[in-house]
Amino acid sequence: MAKTKTILKIEDMTKRYGSKTVLKNASLSLNEGELKILIGPSGGGKSTLLQCINFLVKPNSGRVWLDGKEIIHSRKKELYAYRQRVGMIFQDFNLFDHLTVLENVQIALVKVKKRGKEESRTRAVTELERVGLADHITKYPAQLSGGQKQRVSIARALAMDPEVMLLDEPTSALDPELISEVLDVIRDLRLNGMTMIMSTHQIGFASELADELVFLENGSILETGPPKKMFSNADCERTREFCSKITELYGNSF
Amino acid sequence: MTESLTVLYGALPYLLRGTLVTIALVAGAMGLGLVIGINLAVGQVYGKRWLRAIIGIYIWFFRGVPLLVLLFLFYFGLFSLLEINLSAFTVAVIVLGLITAAYQSQIFRGAILSLPEGQLKAARALGMSDKKAILLIILPQALRLSIPGWSNEYSIVLKDSAVAYALGVMEMMARAHFVASRTYEHLPLYFSAGLIFLILTYLGTKGLRLMEEKLRIPGYSR
Repeated sequence: MAKTKTILKIEDMTKRYGSKTVLKNASLSLNEGELKILIGPSGGGKSTLLQCINFLVKPNSGRVWLDGKEIIHSRKKELYAYRQRVGMIFQDFNLFDHLTVLENVQIALVKVKKRGKEESRTRAVTELERVGLADHITKYPAQLSGGQKQRVSIARALAMDPEVMLLDEPTSALDPELISEVLDVIRDLRLNGMTMIMSTHQIGFASELADELVFLENGSILETGPPKKMFSNADCERTREFCSKITELYGNSF
Repeated sequence: MTESLTVLYGALPYLLRGTLVTIALVAGAMGLGLVIGINLAVGQVYGKRWLRAIIGIYIWFFRGVPLLVLLFLFYFGLFSLLEINLSAFTVAVIVLGLITAAYQSQIFRGAILSLPEGQLKAARALGMSDKKAILLIILPQALRLSIPGWSNEYSIVLKDSAVAYALGVMEMMARAHFVASRTYEHLPLYFSAGLIFLILTYLGTKGLRLMEEKLRIPGYSR
């Protein structure tokens, strides 16, 4: 796999709520086709980092480049255009509850990308087939299981042709039995070369597929490295501690 | 008794024309209140601090001053001062509309705030502007949730509309009073007026209930 071109670069991202700093000078860069997985304890800043990347949470400082061009988030047009190129998957799906599965995937194509109704519909159906939900397009979110909802949200993001996807604990709100159907979809994306940053506690998945693991605690990136190294001989004491704890909990990864 | 019925029978078409005026008053006021109320609610939830402050003053004013005072204030005071010549009916629609807008805004605001924060986040993440997100994602859901509260507000405005009588608007109550004071058949006429209000309340709330059912999002429990 050629990993030469940097798609996304984040520099010195900091977010404070009042006097509490939840993200401290986080920097990372992502090459084309790469999967980076954020690990670390809850409240460590994983979610904040992901949401700062597409400015759903406005960072106090920090810079973002997509495909070599810096994004100035105070310029509204630029921000909206940027967000179309960065897909986001949330822990609790956030499907639009008043729209059918098909409409959920279609709406941004029609209303944001200004594509024709028919073209958008065809595209939406294609994406829903890809995540295995072609039979459910007329249902409403409340009629789906958690795993199905998350797959719809992935289809919704994919329909926008994102260059990067941000996945914020995509399986954390799911019943254990439903986790694999979502992970399978993400694995397919990975194998098809989608560039992604994902936070997760699914350590088996992370060690199998990630190019790099990024360990975040108390808002700081403590260590970054390939999964093998992070699990067997991480440099940082805290990383070792966390990785062994989580391996105990979620099963051995190698 | 027969006398009363004859009077009532004779006055009925006159009363029913008044009922149409009442319906027009209420429809106009509720419509105006809907448009202004939605904007107030959106401004109050998503607006900048100065905008929220202005809306706060608006709501405080229109919820705080009695209807009768506002009707006189606008009809005899403000519009005369500005030399704007409006009919009593129009002024009544405007005043009732401005008041119900203040109340309706709080129904919509509550509904907007009850939606999960993730709805707006997901819309923004797809590249929607806030305006699009509010129009396409937030309001369609919030307005559905607002129907029960709105139905309540309808029954209040319907009854308040009788106060327009004080400006000389020939709505139903004004006509009942007019006939009653000429024929001295007070009981049957006010009874009929009350009955017509009850029927209008029933029809309106029933209609809104049906609308609520029709617009209910499948999969949600009752």
